[in-house]
Amino acid sequence: MSFAFDNVSKNFGAVVAIREVSLTFEPGRIYSIIGPNGAGKSTLINMAAGSYSVTSGDILLDGRRLTALKKYQISRAGIARTYQNIRLFDHMTALENLEVCLYREQIGHVVAEILLPARSRALKADRTARSMEALRRFGLEAYGEQPATSLPYGSQKLLEIARAIMTQPKVLMLDEPAAGLNMSETAELREKLVAMRSDGLIMIVIEHDMNLVMSISDHIYVLHQGRTLAEGSAADIQSNKDVQEAYLGSAGELDEIKRSVVGRQNRVRIRLDAGVVRHRSRGVSR
Amino acid sequence: MHDQPIERLATTRSRRLPAAGLASTAVIVLATIAAVPLLETYQIRVINDVLIYALLASALNIVIGYAGLLDLGFVAFFAIGAYSYALLDSPFFGVHLPFIAALALGAAFGAGAGILLGIPVLRLRGDYLAIVTLGFGEIIRILLNNVDALTNGPKGIMRLYTPELFGWTLSTPQDFYFLLLGLVAIVFTLVYRLEKSVLGLAWAAIREDQDAARGIGINTTFAKLCAFSTSASIGGLAGVIFAAYQRFVSPESFTFDVSLLIALIVVAGGIGNLVGVLVGAIILVVLPEALRGYDQYRMLIYGIVLVLIIMARPRGIVPRRYGIEWALRMLGWK
Repeated sequence: MSFAFDNVSKNFGAVVAIREVSLTFEPGRIYSIIGPNGAGKSTLINMAAGSYSVTSGDILLDGRRLTALKKYQISRAGIARTYQNIRLFDHMTALENLEVCLYREQIGHVVAEILLPARSRALKADRTARSMEALRRFGLEAYGEQPATSLPYGSQKLLEIARAIMTQPKVLMLDEPAAGLNMSETAELREKLVAMRSDGLIMIVIEHDMNLVMSISDHIYVLHQGRTLAEGSAADIQSNKDVQEAYLGSAGELDEIKRSVVGRQNRVRIRLDAGVVRHRSRGVSR
Repeated sequence: MHDQPIERLATTRSRRLPAAGLASTAVIVLATIAAVPLLETYQIRVINDVLIYALLASALNIVIGYAGLLDLGFVAFFAIGAYSYALLDSPFFGVHLPFIAALALGAAFGAGAGILLGIPVLRLRGDYLAIVTLGFGEIIRILLNNVDALTNGPKGIMRLYTPELFGWTLSTPQDFYFLLLGLVAIVFTLVYRLEKSVLGLAWAAIREDQDAARGIGINTTFAKLCAFSTSASIGGLAGVIFAAYQRFVSPESFTFDVSLLIALIVVAGGIGNLVGVLVGAIILVVLPEALRGYDQYRMLIYGIVLVLIIMARPRGIVPRRYGIEWALRMLGWK
């Protein structure tokens, strides 16, 4: 199995978010994509999952062009993801959030499910058993009957990963799985992620928690301003000078940041003045 | 965990209850059902209206309540079913199809129309979908009004044949009461099972987050078309019965008001809840009849009561979580 971004670019209007990025992934390994805010990390996931189209280039899974597929077909081809902001089915129970993932498998039997009580019971039992197993795997079995939105934040994040796994993906993409988690939740997450590493699965993690990234990744890609800046093992990346610069910013960049902050303050003041003027002029017209 | 034994005691006791609870509720329900034919004809007619609207609302509930799509033109499918019967069982074309065939064809034409409407409009959501479906309802009514060769225009089609089902001639309101009751039982059971099926789960997921639903492999267009076509086929079925019952159809019976009333039954009764749909149909259909004594204030009072219902119970008279399971539990079943 192979998964690859082949010379992919993405423009949003005049802004170039991704410039000719090529990445390759192999099963059984955990990859991380890191980079400063706005480097284009989430854009990569969104393109692979079909949320964004690519401007040029291709995303290939076993030689199949994902860019030509619809979103649900991409999922069926074997791509699963989580979202930066949790997107569970809030008012469905934790269990139902997983059960619905078996849609693809069971929809063909839906007429039998409605008309034949025995078939209905068998299909439902299959859904429940497999979903409960997944809940147990993520330590969420106690929440089975609760609406997803009522779960603690950390558990919701795990449930979202469980939902992605339920679709039996070949590629699992996690968009900031540790964001908003406390230290013990992050430790639990790390444990689950490492346990999920298996021969058949490609895991791609976008994350800002460097301790987590460095401890789980087999291979790291560093993205900066839409380009691959560096790649390699955790040790390679930590000692890479370009990476350090991109993250900490050179002295020149720092100056630029300060200037932009001052500029924004000025603009705010100008806008306020304009508001006053507009307000006055409206008064006159009355 | 001190109170666990007590809890267990309570559950064993409630498990012993069913026999008595079930028997008593069964007696009450059967007695009510059996008593209806003894009522005056006018009262039976009102009850038949309740049942027809319960059918229509349970169908629209699939689209609004389960899939989360606001359809304000549902009367179109009702009209298609009614005119199917009018054309297939009247002297107008001189065709006389068995009632069972007319029922099947009415449902099939309804489903077909649901798919035809669904394909172009399912990219839309919320208000936009509501506007387009509302327009569809009006288009069908205007067509019925103007395609004289096929529908006899505003004059409508008269003298529809008396339907016959397995040797049973349906002529009185009592006959239709039993037919409608049986159909409500069947349709409610099927709709309930749909809700609990994997397709029902997919509809819930689409309602919650369409994009995330696509992300786990749900073909949302297909699932929504299923919702549209199943609900439209029930609408068509209800239309066939309505036409056979009235033995007359005209475009006047299929105005926007009907769409609105069906949608109101779903929303005020309890969106996504079959118990709510039934309660909503009873209240919203019986209320205007009960208010007949108030003459010109009738619709004013009806309107005020509706507003009060929605204000007091924004999730419907019977909210979603008090569904069929809850009702059965309360009746000492399950």
